Amino acid sequence: MEKQKKENVFRTLARWLVRWIFGLKYEEKWFGKKQHAEKEIKYKNGVPDDSELIVSPARQVFNRFMDRKFAVVSVIVVLVMFLVVFIGPYFMPKYYDSFTETTQVDLPPTRSFMAVPAELKNDLKSVDSYGSFSVGLSNAGKVYIWGVTRIGASGVNVKNMPEGINDKKIAFAAAGQDHVIAIAEDGTYFGWGSNRFGQIERTPEIEANSNLEPIPDEVANGTLDPTQIKKVTCGYQASAILMQDGTLYIWGNKQTYANLDKFIGRTNMLDIDFTLNNVVGLDSKQTTVVTGIKGLYNTVRPNIGAKGVKIGEYLNGRKINEIRCTTKSLCLLLDDGSICFAGDFDKDVVDVPQLPADERFVDIEGGNYHFVGLTNKGNVYAFGGDHYYQTKVPNLKGQAAKVFAGSFQSYVADANNKLIGKWGLKGYIFGTDGAGADIFQRTIAGGKVTMTVGAIAVIIEIIIGVSIGLISGYFGGWIDILLMRIAEVFSSIPLYPFMLILSSLLSQVAISTNQRLYMIMVILGILGWPGFAYITRAQILVARESEYVTAAQSMGVKETRIAFKHILPNIISVILVNMTLSFAASMQTETSLSFLGFGVNYPQPSWGNMLSRASNATAAINFWWQWLFTSAILVFTTVCINTIGDTLRDVMDPKSSNDK
Amino acid sequence: MGRYILKRVVYMLLVFILLTFVLFCLYQMMPANRAYTDAKAAMTAYKNWPADKQEEKFQELYLEYQRRYGTDTDNKLVLYLRWLGLYPFYDGHRSGLLTGDFGYSYQYAQPVIKVVGPHIRNSFLIGIFTEIAVLGITIPLGIKCAVKKGQRFDRSVQFLSLIGFSTPSFIIYIIFIVIFCSILHLFPVSGMKTPGSTLTGWRNALDVLWHITLPTICLVFGSLASITRICRASMIDALSLDCIRTARAKGLTEKTVVYSHAWRNAIIPMVSIIVGGFFGVISGAMILETMFGFKGMGLLFLNSVRQADYDLIMFLEVIYTFIGLFSNLVIDLTYGIVDPRVRISK
Repeated sequence: MEKQKKENVFRTLARWLVRWIFGLKYEEKWFGKKQHAEKEIKYKNGVPDDSELIVSPARQVFNRFMDRKFAVVSVIVVLVMFLVVFIGPYFMPKYYDSFTETTQVDLPPTRSFMAVPAELKNDLKSVDSYGSFSVGLSNAGKVYIWGVTRIGASGVNVKNMPEGINDKKIAFAAAGQDHVIAIAEDGTYFGWGSNRFGQIERTPEIEANSNLEPIPDEVANGTLDPTQIKKVTCGYQASAILMQDGTLYIWGNKQTYANLDKFIGRTNMLDIDFTLNNVVGLDSKQTTVVTGIKGLYNTVRPNIGAKGVKIGEYLNGRKINEIRCTTKSLCLLLDDGSICFAGDFDKDVVDVPQLPADERFVDIEGGNYHFVGLTNKGNVYAFGGDHYYQTKVPNLKGQAAKVFAGSFQSYVADANNKLIGKWGLKGYIFGTDGAGADIFQRTIAGGKVTMTVGAIAVIIEIIIGVSIGLISGYFGGWIDILLMRIAEVFSSIPLYPFMLILSSLLSQVAISTNQRLYMIMVILGILGWPGFAYITRAQILVARESEYVTAAQSMGVKETRIAFKHILPNIISVILVNMTLSFAASMQTETSLSFLGFGVNYPQPSWGNMLSRASNATAAINFWWQWLFTSAILVFTTVCINTIGDTLRDVMDPKSSNDK
Repeated sequence: MGRYILKRVVYMLLVFILLTFVLFCLYQMMPANRAYTDAKAAMTAYKNWPADKQEEKFQELYLEYQRRYGTDTDNKLVLYLRWLGLYPFYDGHRSGLLTGDFGYSYQYAQPVIKVVGPHIRNSFLIGIFTEIAVLGITIPLGIKCAVKKGQRFDRSVQFLSLIGFSTPSFIIYIIFIVIFCSILHLFPVSGMKTPGSTLTGWRNALDVLWHITLPTICLVFGSLASITRICRASMIDALSLDCIRTARAKGLTEKTVVYSHAWRNAIIPMVSIIVGGFFGVISGAMILETMFGFKGMGLLFLNSVRQADYDLIMFLEVIYTFIGLFSNLVIDLTYGIVDPRVRISK
């Protein structure tokens, strides 16, 4: 008879996989026919031999557990989940809890941030972006928009371009946070997107609002000569057009850009750009950064990590040729091809590399946090903010002729206007939350918190509950009565009201987020132990009367030794089952508390507080991705844990028969 | 029996005193001083006085308020006894829980007892509907599953209830709100009645009913799964008893066996859930009420914790603790009614 290979976990799993993918036929071909439960009756000496191999109880439980496919899958899922949430954070070294990004708020799941349309790839004139979408312009004069074009819940979709734009040849296009402006080659102005702060057109309300600067008539009426336009650029909720002769047209929200007033009607400008809160310009003297605010950017740094020097000293006769801004910092390109920086940088930044002796920068572009520099050798370097790996430049073989920086993306075109390289942020698979953070990363980090809280709380429950149950059940008498009364007191504490009080008390005390987390675990553990105590005690009462205990007693084994060494191993199965179910319950309690705002607090993520925004019906439907993925993962995990617990109970219970 | 009840009541009172004392001490840790804030507020009348005079007046006022509120001592026991109404205030009068003075809510500018009344009524209204619906659905379902154990029907109910049991209630509520409010627009999102409406009589009742339908449905679905599971488990245990085999051997109909013999045994473990559920109605459903803006006990408690309305929190805690202990007592007594063995052992 052919020797049957021994079935083990991996073999069984492989078997299922093969059956799932290829079907039963191949499974039997590759793995042999499975031995089914109904065995052929063997005959020994003429009588049916129905004897079974005697296996240890643990082995038996294991075998029976392995028969339940659903439970085995659950074990694997929970293990994978554990690995993901505990090892996952090491694979996202740039993640931190309090990350916020105003330009990336409430974005749905997408991978389209760098999806440059095919027609544009060989005919690239310019790319611009400030927030979630990018605007590309081809040399043929056609405007393309990609990325997340629906802006928040406002109903504005920048994909809806104004009528007539396709008939004109567009010469300039620029994108802001929620608006786009374009100038055609005949001077016609197009603006679309949100007009809440007067970004795109003049209305009586905007003229009446002293906080908003309406668009200049010359621009809106299309009387500008497009051949004389030097630069069209957009900030967060503002836009600017700079002419070759130095005349500046600027409009938008003066609350975001407090120094916008100081730029209105200027005529001697060489360059203009926007940070998140300031308008930054360069005048014809080319020696200072013009902001209208005294001393704002009067120290510069030769490199991002270097020490600040007074701008006059550093320039030492050299002139500034170009200014490019990110949200917080600026990069100045000097007339000798060197660059320097001003403003603030986040901690996660990449310095400018040392250029070879004969190489110098000829152009700089600024994204939201990073800068891209083009050199005279056609090489591209990226530096500055690196949170989404914006500075990881692919090998471009010195072909680069034009560089463009979007919000977190960079695009490079060669001399034939062909797109030869793009890198940066592709999008978010789970979308972003109300603070602009990646929900996928927060889900992993939040899972770590939720699972840790659940696990530690259960361990505390077991330690207290089992010891008390053991002592109480084994010794009986007044100890039993006393301990059980104490357990009753603890179990009659109303959980939620008590937790609410305690956590609002904790919020009065200055403690760190981690200490708060420990407190939550301890409180959950302390309030949850009576359940374990009751179960242990009930099991002990049964076990105490059994023969092996009597035997141990008659042999003179010490009482505590009997309790912990002889009885405990026999009741471990019941504790194991309850541990699993209790783990899921603790996770649920933690998520509910955090959801109410009394557990883990923002910015530390937990699967509960990440869902708190969904308590509002409008937000729940508009920002569905902010709760759907996280709660699906939470439910999936708890279902799997509960399945394990249920199955364990079934297979360990001698009363339950083999039939399911 | 009488002796047993007496013993339990005395024990209950002891635990009640212990718990409330612990809670009371917890509140004392909260950094809020009513006498101080009131004295500061009263000082605005003396704004124009010279600084030293002001300081003197403030100390005077502060002491006066402390004496009025009974916080002129640091002795926690005295404070607690004053709160109970067993220890006299500075001027000799006694006022506290036992004398019928439950405190004053600052958030609502009303005596606590007047604030709590309507909230209890609302919670009760929604809770009683829910409890009846839940028991009406889960018990027949659990019995049917237990009888048809292992069959397709049982397995699918088991699977669904496993998912329901593993889902935190608020996720169920979110899903229901999204489906019924945001997509189907069938029910209002929040509130107890249409804002600004002056409906009376039948119309008003219908309006209220329309508003509480979705919260009730949510609550029902939130607790279906766990009770079905418990009911099924206890019914399966009951069906495997020897007496069932005997009953079947006697030739009784399956109906009699299930509903008379098995069910009477299965109900014993379920007593605590059924009785506890009815008492839990008064406690309200904190998460549900928060999400629907439903003015029940849960929301009241949450708001008073957020607003640090101490008298109100303390009174609500008393209610919660009392309900918890009292329902335990009732559960134990009910055990005696449904389980003759318990009656005899007492």
